[in-house]
Amino acid sequence: MGSVVINLNLAGREVELLVKPLATLQSVLRNQLGLTSVKEGCRQGGCGSCTVLIDGEPMMSCLLPVQDVAGRTVTTMEGLNSPEGPTPIQQAFLDHHGYQCGYCTPGMEIVTTALLEHNPQPTRDQIVEALAGNVCRCTGYQPIVASIAAAAASAGEEVR
Amino acid sequence: MTVANYFQPESVPEAIGLLADHGPELLVIAGGTIAMPLINEGISLPSQVMGLRRAGLDGINLDGYTMRIGAMVTLTRLGEQYHVPLLATDAGRIAGWSIRNMATVGGNIFAPPPAGDLATALLALDARLTISGAHGERELALADFWTGFMTTSLEPDELLTSISVPLDVEPSAFIKFGRKQANTPSVVTVAVTAGRIALGAVGPHPIRARQAETVLAAGLLDRATIATAADAAAAECDPATDAIATDWYRRRMVRVMVERALTELAAKSKGKEA
Amino acid sequence: MSEHSADQPVTPLNVVGRSLERNDGLGHVTGRDIYTADRTFPGMLHLKLVRSPVHHARLRGIDLRESEKVPGYVAALTAGDVPHNLYTILGLIGVEPEEEWVLTPIGERVRFKGEGVAAIVAETEAAALEAVARARLDLEELPAVFDMDEALAPGAPVVTHWGNNTFMYEGHECRRVRFGDVEAGFASADHIIEGEYRASPIEHAPVETTGCIAVPDPNGRFTVYTNTQALYFSLDNTSIILQVPGNRLRFIGGMVGGGFGGKVDVIVEPLATLAAMKTGRPVRFVYSRAEEMQISSTRSPEIIRIKDGVMADGRIVARKVVGLMDCGAYSRQTPYAVTKFAANAAGPYNIANVWIDGYCVYTNRTPTSAMRGFGVTMGSFALEVQMDKIAERVGLDPWTIRLRNAYRNGDIKPHRKVVEDATLIETIQAAAKLVGVELAPELQAMTSAPRQAEPEGAVR
Repeated sequence: MGSVVINLNLAGREVELLVKPLATLQSVLRNQLGLTSVKEGCRQGGCGSCTVLIDGEPMMSCLLPVQDVAGRTVTTMEGLNSPEGPTPIQQAFLDHHGYQCGYCTPGMEIVTTALLEHNPQPTRDQIVEALAGNVCRCTGYQPIVASIAAAAASAGEEVR
Repeated sequence: MTVANYFQPESVPEAIGLLADHGPELLVIAGGTIAMPLINEGISLPSQVMGLRRAGLDGINLDGYTMRIGAMVTLTRLGEQYHVPLLATDAGRIAGWSIRNMATVGGNIFAPPPAGDLATALLALDARLTISGAHGERELALADFWTGFMTTSLEPDELLTSISVPLDVEPSAFIKFGRKQANTPSVVTVAVTAGRIALGAVGPHPIRARQAETVLAAGLLDRATIATAADAAAAECDPATDAIATDWYRRRMVRVMVERALTELAAKSKGKEA
Repeated sequence: MSEHSADQPVTPLNVVGRSLERNDGLGHVTGRDIYTADRTFPGMLHLKLVRSPVHHARLRGIDLRESEKVPGYVAALTAGDVPHNLYTILGLIGVEPEEEWVLTPIGERVRFKGEGVAAIVAETEAAALEAVARARLDLEELPAVFDMDEALAPGAPVVTHWGNNTFMYEGHECRRVRFGDVEAGFASADHIIEGEYRASPIEHAPVETTGCIAVPDPNGRFTVYTNTQALYFSLDNTSIILQVPGNRLRFIGGMVGGGFGGKVDVIVEPLATLAAMKTGRPVRFVYSRAEEMQISSTRSPEIIRIKDGVMADGRIVARKVVGLMDCGAYSRQTPYAVTKFAANAAGPYNIANVWIDGYCVYTNRTPTSAMRGFGVTMGSFALEVQMDKIAERVGLDPWTIRLRNAYRNGDIKPHRKVVEDATLIETIQAAAKLVGVELAPELQAMTSAPRQAEPEGAVR
């Protein structure tokens, strides 16, 4: 059926994969690599629970043919986790209850990672805008915004 | 039917060659934000697919009086350029960050209503399209490209490669009115500049409000003229009812938003803050 | 603070008053917690349903010949494969009759668009979806009804199998509460104030869709990984539907990506487990986003009609409430919702004459079910808007209207329960203080202590 070999850079590791034509990055990450922090909520790019970073930029892995990101760096939560304990962003989400059921949380934290990389001192409006593509049905969003503001503040800068 | 081949041509001639080989069976994907949801849901079951991310269509070139935008330029990238503020503003109001990193300028022209916000601004700018095919290149106005709901004059062996817009068209005004503040389908989109009024989500594709434009051309951009133009725009649009809004609500919002956009334009023209 | 605790010695509190980290916090913020659809098993099959494309029809035939030709097709289940095919999820708490099909039998009616008629199991999800797309159903369409008033009118299309479009409560068409004499109350009232309140259906839309994976164990049991909100409920209903003892089923869950009442309908586990039994392989049945939005249950649409008899001083002396709750094609949790509604539909107020009718109405809409306070939440909305309306009509402010009518300890609620531990008055007073509203002395002096005398104007 015409499977193709591609390479991905996953958290600093080169990975070689055999993939079906037009397989999505989401299906490859979840089903072939077991990276289930990448969630499946809609497969329409509408919920954001599948968000990953491609060379540091957030994208919906459910809409991305994996072949289109061959050779590029893919970052999921697994690539950001530390064996030493929660990262500063994760600690902020713990401290400020930026989660309830947890299903949207990896996507939210991935976007947060990209946001603070681009803009270490986001305003509240900028945080809200960055999250526009990520749906949460539990928290009402305020605790998530508070977590991100706290993460930014804990990085040493004041949030305006 | 599973996908048998996913082609990733690395040049326009290669892409056109694939179109010639496979014909209408070949599904062309740009950013994938419209096609992939349909494929994921099993609504679209293509066997042959071509993706354009590697075809060299993502450049932005300035040449004198125009900006030529490659069809695969992403909305994020368009939002970062400052040469045509109308497009930067428009691009930033579509979807969310991740989708803007993937969705393309060219793809937006094929987006069915109520999508097509960027195409609406391009229409207001009187954009010109460059289309490449086996027989060479041709150019035509975006205004002449759409032939109906989800149909264009693109031939099966052709590819939209770039979109050109004039550089010196400020001031402009853009309003996207949706049911949420962000990441929302349009109730109505309005883009106005240089005497042109383009409307999105209120027709089978983005439309020019020509009667309203005639009103503008005849007088000064004062309150009375603006009101009359807004009335004309509301009368001449052709909105549909969908899950987002009814046709009567869309028509009412055309009246309101065209008036607001023209008022903003008038204020900018006078050099004041809106 | 109750009198009881004043005598207790103060002991150090380890949990109360502290902000604690949840025990699933770390797993959630690292993305390491495993949700149902994150699991995969060797040889796992995928189940998808063939669903009715129309709202109401007699099912004449199911043709799966083209489905069977799809590469990767493994098996199909139809009504005859389901040991106990007619059920009701509330059967576990004694609600009757059994009325919902797991899979619609040929010759019976499909009653809502999306009703499951056959289950197809395949090697991949794509193959299952394609096999479903190729299924052909022979359906004789019937008139459908989507509006409750229409459904209750003579001549409406009948949804149920017992001939009328209401759930029957011990032989009655509605849940009834009768307290005092409302007609006499209305006759004695200075004002009659009526209101009609409507609530639309609401989809829970959890980010994680409904789903389960049923895995055959080597010892003849089945382990079912599921994101149901009601693990034992699901296990027991699966046991009934499959006619297997509960000790052959092991349900593993607790990691739910949003439920809100939308994952209590026991809708995927029975078929997935049955398919695992039939094929001997793990079977995954997970809703797509489209199924979650269109097929899975919603909060019921409601129409609540209130008629109040009110004295010039604002006391409500008679209240008649008729509530219609649209359960859709099958009753699911709505009979229970209506019972709760009837118990609460007079509101937390002391009213001498009350008439409540709560109807569970059938239409051809998607079946509705539980959602956050179902049966009561919308009732509160209706009642409190009505209270504000009353305040406006009699020329009093919203605080006075509520305090004058608030129930107190010892009052008898319309469904005959005695009010205990009431704190409504104190709560309203605290709220007024919080927002800087000064209450009149007589209102500030009120308490929830039992009344000394019969309420004025009571008609019994």
